[in-house]
This record gives sequence, structure tokens and C-alpha cells, in this order.
Amino acid sequence: MTWSDPEKLKRVKDFGISGIAFCVARESGSGKLFFGNSDFKVYEVDALAEKPEPAAFEAEGHQSYVTGIVQNQTQLVSGSYDGNLIWWDSESKKPTRTVKAHERWIRNVTASPDGSIVASVADDMVGKLWDAKSGETMHTLKDHKEETPDHYPSMLYAGAFSPDGKWLATADKVGHIAVWEVASGKKAAELESPGMYTWDPRARRHSIGGIRSVAFSHDSKLLAAGGIGKIGNIDHLGGPSRVEIFDWQKGESLHVIEDNELKGLVEQIEFDPSGNWLLAAGGDHGGFVSFYSVETGKLIKQDKAPMHVHQLAMNDDSTGFFAVGHGKIAHYEFKSDHPPGPAEPPLPEDAA
Amino acid sequence: MFRACLTVATTFLCAQVSLYATDLLPADQPMESVIDHYVDDLIKTNDVQTASQIDEHILIRRLTLDLAGRIPTTAELHAFVSADPATRRAKLVDKLLASPDFIDHHRNELQVLLEYPDRRNDKDFRNYLLWATEQNRPWNTMFRDMLAGDENDEYQKAALQFVRHRAKSLDDLTNDTAVLFFGVNVSCAKCHDHPLVEDWKQDHYYGMQSFFSRTFLTKKQSLGEKFYGDVKFTTTSGVEKQAQFMFLNGSVVKDDTPELDDDSRKKYDALVKKLQQDDKIEVSYPEFRPRERLVETASHKDNDAFLARNIVNRIWHRMTGRGIVDPPDQLHSENSPSHPELLDWLARDTVENGYDLKRLIRGIALSRIYSRSSEWNSAAAPPSPHYFAVAIPRPLSPRQYAMSLLVATRNPPHWEQWLTKPAEDWKKERTNLENATNNWDDAFEIPGENFQVAVDEALFFSNNNRIDNDLLRDSGDRLVGHLKKLDDPEAALSAAFEAVNSRQPTDDERKAIIEYLESRREDSPAAIKQVVWALLTGPELRFNH
Amino acid sequence: MAQPGSIFCGSADHGLSRRGFLGAAGAATAGTFAADMTRLDGLKNPLLAGQVKRQQKSVILLWLAGGASQFETWDPKPGQSTGGPYSKIKTSANDVHISELLPKMAQRMNHTAIIRSINSKIGDHGGGASLMETGRVKDPGLIYPDIGAIAARELGRADSQVPDYVSMYTSTEGRRKGTSGFLGARYAPMFLSDKQIPDNMRRLEAISDVDHKDRAALRDLLSKRFTKARHSEKINSHTTAYSRVHGLMSSEKLFDIEQEPESVRAKYGPRQFAQQCLIARRLVEAGTPFVKVARAWWDSHGQNFETHRELCADLDHAMSTLLDDLEERGLLENTLVVTLGEFGRTPKINASLGRDHFANAWSCSLSGCGVRGGSFYGKTEPEGNTVADGEVGAAEVFATILEALGIDHEKEYMIGSRPIPLSDFGAKPIKEVLA
Repeated sequence: MTWSDPEKLKRVKDFGISGIAFCVARESGSGKLFFGNSDFKVYEVDALAEKPEPAAFEAEGHQSYVTGIVQNQTQLVSGSYDGNLIWWDSESKKPTRTVKAHERWIRNVTASPDGSIVASVADDMVGKLWDAKSGETMHTLKDHKEETPDHYPSMLYAGAFSPDGKWLATADKVGHIAVWEVASGKKAAELESPGMYTWDPRARRHSIGGIRSVAFSHDSKLLAAGGIGKIGNIDHLGGPSRVEIFDWQKGESLHVIEDNELKGLVEQIEFDPSGNWLLAAGGDHGGFVSFYSVETGKLIKQDKAPMHVHQLAMNDDSTGFFAVGHGKIAHYEFKSDHPPGPAEPPLPEDAA
Repeated sequence: MFRACLTVATTFLCAQVSLYATDLLPADQPMESVIDHYVDDLIKTNDVQTASQIDEHILIRRLTLDLAGRIPTTAELHAFVSADPATRRAKLVDKLLASPDFIDHHRNELQVLLEYPDRRNDKDFRNYLLWATEQNRPWNTMFRDMLAGDENDEYQKAALQFVRHRAKSLDDLTNDTAVLFFGVNVSCAKCHDHPLVEDWKQDHYYGMQSFFSRTFLTKKQSLGEKFYGDVKFTTTSGVEKQAQFMFLNGSVVKDDTPELDDDSRKKYDALVKKLQQDDKIEVSYPEFRPRERLVETASHKDNDAFLARNIVNRIWHRMTGRGIVDPPDQLHSENSPSHPELLDWLARDTVENGYDLKRLIRGIALSRIYSRSSEWNSAAAPPSPHYFAVAIPRPLSPRQYAMSLLVATRNPPHWEQWLTKPAEDWKKERTNLENATNNWDDAFEIPGENFQVAVDEALFFSNNNRIDNDLLRDSGDRLVGHLKKLDDPEAALSAAFEAVNSRQPTDDERKAIIEYLESRREDSPAAIKQVVWALLTGPELRFNH
Repeated sequence: MAQPGSIFCGSADHGLSRRGFLGAAGAATAGTFAADMTRLDGLKNPLLAGQVKRQQKSVILLWLAGGASQFETWDPKPGQSTGGPYSKIKTSANDVHISELLPKMAQRMNHTAIIRSINSKIGDHGGGASLMETGRVKDPGLIYPDIGAIAARELGRADSQVPDYVSMYTSTEGRRKGTSGFLGARYAPMFLSDKQIPDNMRRLEAISDVDHKDRAALRDLLSKRFTKARHSEKINSHTTAYSRVHGLMSSEKLFDIEQEPESVRAKYGPRQFAQQCLIARRLVEAGTPFVKVARAWWDSHGQNFETHRELCADLDHAMSTLLDDLEERGLLENTLVVTLGEFGRTPKINASLGRDHFANAWSCSLSGCGVRGGSFYGKTEPEGNTVADGEVGAAEVFATILEALGIDHEKEYMIGSRPIPLSDFGAKPIKEVLA
């Protein structure tokens, strides 16, 4: 029996890939990864092999960066800046269906816990729910504004299902979050995290930021959004990596975590099944993986990742993960052979 | 790349500029009479007509602008006009040269010259120049301070801002030194031998550059010099050459340091790198210091013609609006001085009298050519400016103009007290005025060869509220306030003209303006303001004429 | 009755008196002033503008400060490892494809020529900007005029009553005013940094129009006496500067886009860059030979694709609206619209998904006056790392701009004893993109 213990975080291995991996899906019970790349291709790799050798799906596929990928048994669904969703047979590595899903660049593809529904978000500022089997559109989710308050095109970066499968959250560049009821396609809640968006009206006159990741806690009650905080020089990612945790049904912000130690965009968030911690990964020129306490918002443990992390895939028992990103894939573990012991006596208030 | 490259590079170099002409007038003849002798000689030879001498009003104005950096106050004007005509000019010149005004003004002029082409207004450098000017520090010593001063000395350290500001650009350091201290623009010779000037070869450009190529800025902003390193360049015929430490007249300095082996080079490279990155280590210097050697060579009696002629020519240019060599950075054999003997006499005099710039300024200020009118009333075309037969109107420098605006717009009786008060008090007042100009001088262009008044200046005077709220304020301490209190428009007009233009209005001006004031009697404060505005923005104040 | 020799009528009636006063002393100024106003009024109507179509040529320089990416604008490389996520699109000019981030410009490429083979070598902001603005490497001891000052000098009138070089640079990053160098302050830009209207253009409330005119007339009177017997270009420049004040003040309205019909303003939209382009159009229409509109800051070291998504949308909209507007008014054939910056951006995409400074193979565009629309010149190799064909430097771009305007690029200014040609020694214009 192993338990997860963020304190034990260690990088087991990392290896180089060509180009930039933006998204990853892991085949259950294995180290087999499928990832979408900046060379417009989908790859398969066994990350646990001694010498991992990524192999591209050679069949005609996407025409731009592959930014989202999900797997359900032998079926893969990938999305790209070309606006298409492609259904692949993961064994034959051939496309089985191509759908013109969005008018503009698809930023994220995610699947419901049971794999029956696929959600895509794109810069046409709509989210779409798809029947994973038939490829039919179930709902088109319209709420995010097409323009920023400063009249520039906005972007819709992030989407995530709740573990109970009832809800989908979508989040955009200016820090607006919508929570949708999956069954009806109706908007159930709205949240704002304006600190994720930096508009520089004076020095550089453009913007940076956006919510790049969202995640529900395992009881589906909390919602975390990740991105970057206010940046002085918006031409670099030199701002605090930022996570905001909401009790989304109450519309209440519980924590804003801004980390100036390892800076940059939070590209993905994962909650601990037991509800103790969350994992945020991302980067600037470098990368990071950071564990925070859900209860206090305090940092538990972090590592300077060997690359900017774009996405990660947890292993089956949440004691390790595979992170993909700029030119590299890294394997991390944080397991312990005993449950995380009784915490040391808490520090007196003022010592913190 | 380049169009016609005239000559093939040769290694034969000769000193094109001989030291000094022989047969000069005696060294002990008064400078002003030497100046007049040589200038009038050329005028007579060419049968050139000259402008008349200026009257006492324009004279005190011109002298005060040139020696004190501002127009005279009404009190000074009155005192001068009523003084003994036989002696008042010399007395005024000596008084102004001894005044704190001169120190500030001379400093300002040197600063503008030496910071060219930028406009840094560097505080440390300004302080150095003030200190140097206060004690009339010899120009050759200042040259040493600025190029190879001692960083442990507070003032010399500030003087080195000259190098420090240019340390990141070897080309700027090379060219600005050549232009500002030797009157020579060798930048053309960087890429090829100068197409029009025989004197300047690539060897000269890179020779001059060699003296600076080892200079670097440490992390602490000190000036270090590397332990080895030569300048290499490619001639237009594609041959790679190693430059020598060569001065403009071909004099070569040898680096007598024994050849370094690879290990020592590595060691020194590491040291330099450390100095550039770490602000805690002390600078250590090599034995052979090229900038010092440049200073030594250029100041040596066999080579000092460049240094001396340049500063003479620069001061002459400042006082007359044109160089004996013109433009002043084109001192070479293809651009002959208009008065070669005069230039040489003045250069010799300057060297022999310890590079005393005050002495030079005094001599020019007392000459007859200095007090020629800038008006040319003859139907014939005016003579070429190189005769110095008619004075050249000179735009005021930003600080001269700012200072003059401040002086002109004070309540005129305010200035009377300074005729009798102790000099120390005036010094304080002058410093205050000088500081006040800091807020104004950005509004104006620095006069240069291609000077034009920018329309921004005209718009600034027309519509900026500082003009109305400050210069034209009608409180009691201001000119407008003073004029408002005078019941008699005639008296107001006289006072306004004297305060701004150092003279009484002409009959025509008087008539026209009184008429205007009469027509606006119901709102005479506003009318007075418009008259003062017209005076302040007129060319008569804007130029030293 | 006015007395002989008097410049005032002498009447007790102040109004009359002032008219007489101005009638004599201020006639020249007032005359020019009136003429310009008529013209401005006439030009409000696009049809009329067409009828009084100028021969005078103008430039609007859209300065992409910070360095825009050639990949995301004029030289897309989709599918290459360096190409980024965006695709290329067809344009109204056969054979010319540009980035999908410029869809509106794609429909207007018949007016535009692209130069894709600039190797300007200098990759720092200050050095690159100075190089591209002046068409040559900085020379110690000599301050070169930039393209704006040269255009003002070569295309403008010395006594112009409208500004002849306007430079807008609102952002603070990398702000550069521009310089007239050795051409002197007469050709220095009127600079707008934080407001849409230049400083000191507007009459102060505290000073009445009458006072303004009176004092100008008084100044004229005093100045005439002084300048009569003094022959000096420098003094003349003083007179000229003041004689332009009234005209310039009357051109204040050129900077006010509220003067435009709502329909026109709506086309330009709410963003500042486009609004400044509208001001540029108004200025050009009134006779201003050179307007620079700087759009900062393209320096996308991080998040290049997000930055270009925003800034290209801005450029695409502003530039295409401007070209349409100029064309509709019959001004495009005499107005050259240029996009240029200090350099392009690296083929390599860094870990922050940014592109860094890159001067070895990048692009610019020329539209309108003197340009062979729908053409392109030069090629970069497939990944965009180097120029493959038709390499040009800043000097050639500079010479091409001058030739497009009908200015002899080899004309020389004499500075001291040095002849300085308008474009750098030996530079040849790129004939292939010229009409």
C-alpha cells in the first residue's frame, strides 16, 4: 500500500522530445502517454520505458498546434488551433472522425469522468459539449465575452468537469469563470478572478494572463482556477503564479495563492482525492510543480521543473504524475509507504 | 559600400598641420590689438566694408550676455551708460570676468560643448566644471582631468564623466574626443580614408581609437583599462591592419609592456570580467595606460597645436558666432583658417600663458571687431562672414535665454540693491537664479551649426500657462506688476524696453505702442502684458546681436 | 481717421482700433490663417477633398515599436517548427499569403507591397530603432535626421501652417520622439506622448483671442525693426516659427476626431491606435507630409502568440480602415503607408512561448503612393532563419520609401565638408515593389 505525500515529491526522470507538448492523456494502469505537439501531431510514448521513444501518429491529422487530448479506452479525442476535433483509434493510430468544432483556435479539450462526454473550449468564446461516441454536439455554451474590456479579442482557455460529472467549468482571459450544468447546458454559476488578467495601459498597451486552468475538488464543492497574477513587464512571464480557490456554489473566494518563488502561468491544477492538497504546474522560461494545502492555501512543497509544464497526467492512485511541456516530459512521484503521519504540533499563530 | 574612394591607403603619413606659423606679431603686444591687426589686415587687403561700432546699450548687453550669461539689469545699464566712456568698457569686462556670473556662464558653455551631442545635464560633471571654472583651472589640466583624471580625487572623478558616458561606445569616445579637444572630425576615416581631406587616414581614426580601446567600465562605474589588446581594422583594399597608438599628427606611442603569454592573458581577462561583474573588488591598473599617454602626447610641446588651436577656435566661435576655422570641428588642411596667423598667435599666447581661457576671452571682448554692429544697412550685399566685418547675431543658449527672461521680468528696482551690496550676497542671488533656469532650459534648442528656432518654442510662449503665470505675473515683484503701478504709459514703456532690450524705444515704436496702450486704456494691465510678451518673444531678446 | 504713418486707426472705438491695428500689422498672418481654414472646411466633405486632390505626397508610418513578428504578419511559415500555431491566408493579391491574424489586410493586399528579406543585423531596441528610422548606422559626431524630418523637409513647405512632422507615441516603453538631427529644429516632430492634442496648441482660456492677435501684431512690429538690417537664417527661423503659430493653432482641430462624422469614427472604432490613424488621415488630408503613429509594444519575449493575437487585430483593423478611408478620399495614391519597426522576431519559439529580437530576416510593408500593390520582394528560407533571396538592409528600405515618394534618394545635404546623401552611400531602391 502506498499513500501520497507531497513532502516526498521527487523527479524520477525526464527526457527530451522535439517541439512543445501542450497536452497529455495517460492510458490507465500504465505509463503509456498520448500527447499533442507543436508539430501538429499526436504522439504515443511509453514514459516508463528505459529509453522512451515517442512515436507520431503519421496519418493526416491536425493543421496546427495540438492543444487538447483525452482518452476513453481505445478512443482518443484531440483538439487543435485548427478548430477541429479529431477522434482517433489509439491502436491503429488513424482518425475515425474529424469535426469542425470551432471557428477559432481550440485551447482545451477535456472529458467527463465516465468518458461519455467531451468538452472543448476555443477562442470563438464558446464551450461545446460533445457526445464522445457519436461526435454530436450536445450543448453550445455561450457566456464568455468576445472582447476584453479594452476591446481586444478575448480568449477562452480552460475547461474542466467536476468529478461527479454534473458540472463543467469554463474560464477565460479576463478572469471570468462560468459553471455549467452538464445535463441541461444551462449556466449554474459565475465567478470572477480579475487578478488573472493584466492590462497594461501605459507602458506596453496590451494584455497578458488569463485563467489557464480550472479544476474541481473531488467532492465537487471547490473550484480552483490557475493563471498568473499582476505583471509589471507583461512581455515576460515574470509574475506570480496564481491560484484562486472558490466555494463555487456560495460564490465565495477562499484563497488567493500567489507564488513569487517559482513564477509564471499555472497551466494545470489537480486536486488530491482526499481533499488535502492541490497540485499546480506551469512555468515561465522554466517550470514548476507546486503543492498547496487546500485548507490553508500554504505551500507544502515545490520543485523547479526541468521545463515549462503545459499539462500533466496523474497516475491511478495519485502518487505520481507525468508532466509534458517545452521540449521535455518529466515523471514525478510523491509516494510514501505509510500514511502521512500525524502532523508536527502546529506552530503558534505568530510564528507563521 | 562607399562611393568614390579617392586614394589608396598609404602607410606614409605626415604631419599636415605644422606647429605654428613664424613671423607672428610679438607675444607681448596686447591681445586685442593683435586681433584687430590681423582681422583688419584681411579686410583692407580685400577692400571690404565694415559695419559701424555698436552703441553703449548694445555693448553692455553683448558683453553681459557673453561674460555673465544674461542680459544686464536696468540698474547695471544705467550705471554703465553714465560711466566714463574712456574706461567703462575695460572696467566692465574685468568686473564681469571676476563675477560669479562668469563662473556659472563659462561652466554652462563648457558643459554644452563637452556633453555634445547629448544633453545630459550631468550633475557631477556640472559640479566639476564649476569647480574648475572657479579657480580658472588651465584648459590643458582640465583636458587631463576629463580624459585621464585620478578617480580618487573627488573632482577629477567627476571630470571623468566625459569618458564614462561614452565608455560603452568606442566610436563615440574616439570621435567626440577628436572633435571636442582637437577640432578634428575623423569619423569619415573610420570606413575609408577621408574622401575630401588628405590628412585623415584610417590609420588616424584607428590610431586615435587605440588610446580608448582598452577602456572599460567596471561594475562600480569606475574606469578600468585592460592589460593588453590592439585595434585591428580592414582597409578599403581588404587588408587587415593593426592600428598603432597614433596621434593626429602621426606621433606614435609604443606599448613597451613585454608580450604576454596565454596564461597571463587569461588571468587578465578573468580579472577584467570580474571587475565588470563584481562591485566589491578594487580596480588595478596596468603599467601602460593608453588614455594617459594620449593626454601626454597631445599636451606635449611638439604636438600641442591641436589642443591649443581648438580651444582658441572654440572660444572665438563662442564670442563671435563663427570660428577662425569654421565649422570648428573641421580643423584640417582642406579647410583653412580665415586668419591663420591670428589663430596661431592666439594659440601660442594661450600655451605660453598656461591655457588661461579668461585671458583669451578678455582679449576678444576688448577688440574692436567684437564691438561691430550686426546691422548691415548698405544696399550692397553684406560681406562674407569670414571677414568678421559685421557681427553675427547669435541665438542665446537655453540657459542664457532662460536667465535673461528671469532677469527681464523681475521688478526693475529690485536690481538696484546689488550695485552696492557685498559681492557675497550677489553670489547667492546669482546661484538662485541659476537654479531657477533649470526649470526652463529644456524649452529651448541648443544653438549649433544648423540652429533653428523650433515652432515648439513659439507655441510654448504663445500658449503655455507658465508664461502667463510666471513671466507675465502682475505681482509687485515682477516687471508687469511694476509697470502697472506706473501711471504714465511713456514711463512704463521706457521701463519695459530697458528691462528687456536694454534700450529706450525708438520714436516709431513709442508712438505705435502708446497708441495701442491708449486704445486699451479700459484694460491697461492686459495691454501691458501683451507689450511685455511681444518684447520677451521678440528676436531682439532671443539673439545676442 | 487713421493718421498717416500710424499702424493704429486712432479711433476711440477699441474694436475698430484693433481691426485697424491688425489690418496693418497682422495682415499676412491673418490671411494665411483664413486660407487654411477654408481648406480645412472644404476637406470635411470627402467629395470635395477628391476635387482638390493634392499633388502633395505624404507618409503615414505605422511604427510597430518593440519589433513585430514577421511570422505572425507578413511572412507566415505554417507547418514549420518555427511557424507557430497560426495559418496563412490567401489575399487579394495573387501569390501573396499573409498570416491569418491579418484577415482584413488580406483583402487589401492589392494596395500593398511586402519586403520579406530585410537583414538589418542590429538586434537591440535603441540601435535597431535608430537604424531603421534613419536608414543608416549611427555615425559618431553626426546626428542624422530621421525619415520624418527628411519627408518634412523634402515634401513640406517652409512656412507650412499645418504641422509637417507629427509623431505619436503614447506608450511609455521604448518611447522615441524622433529627431531632425542636422536638418535643425524646424523639422523636429511635433510630439504627442500622453495626449491626443500636442502641447501648447490650444489657446489658454485666460488670454482672449483679441489679446492673442494684438500681441502677435505687436511682436511683428518689434521684430520687423530688428530684422530689417540683420541678415541671418537663424533669425529668420525665429520669425518663421512665430508666423506658424496661428496656423498651427487653427490646426488643433485636426487632432480632434470628434470633428469627424459618427459614421467615420465608428469605422475606426474605440481603440487608440485606430483613432490615432484617423488623426493621421486628418493631418495628411490637410497637408501634413509626415505622420508617425507608433503602436507599442510588440516585444513578445513571452506569449508571442497571445500578444500578436491582440496587436495584429489592432494593426489589421487600423491599417485596413485607414487604407479604405484614404482610398475613398482619393488620397491613397499620394499617401504612402508604411509598417516598420526596429526588427523582427526569432524563428525559435522560447520556453515562455515567446519570440526574441531578430534582425537577420524580417519584413515590412509599403502601401499606396508609388507602390506596386500586390507585390512582394525577397524570400526567407523555409524556417525563416536567414534571407534566401534578395537581401536588403535598412538603407535599401529607406531608399525605397524615398523613391516611392518621388524624392531623389541620392540627393545630398552638405554638412561641413561632408556630402551626406539622403539614403546611405550606395543604397539602391527596391524597384520591384515600386510602381
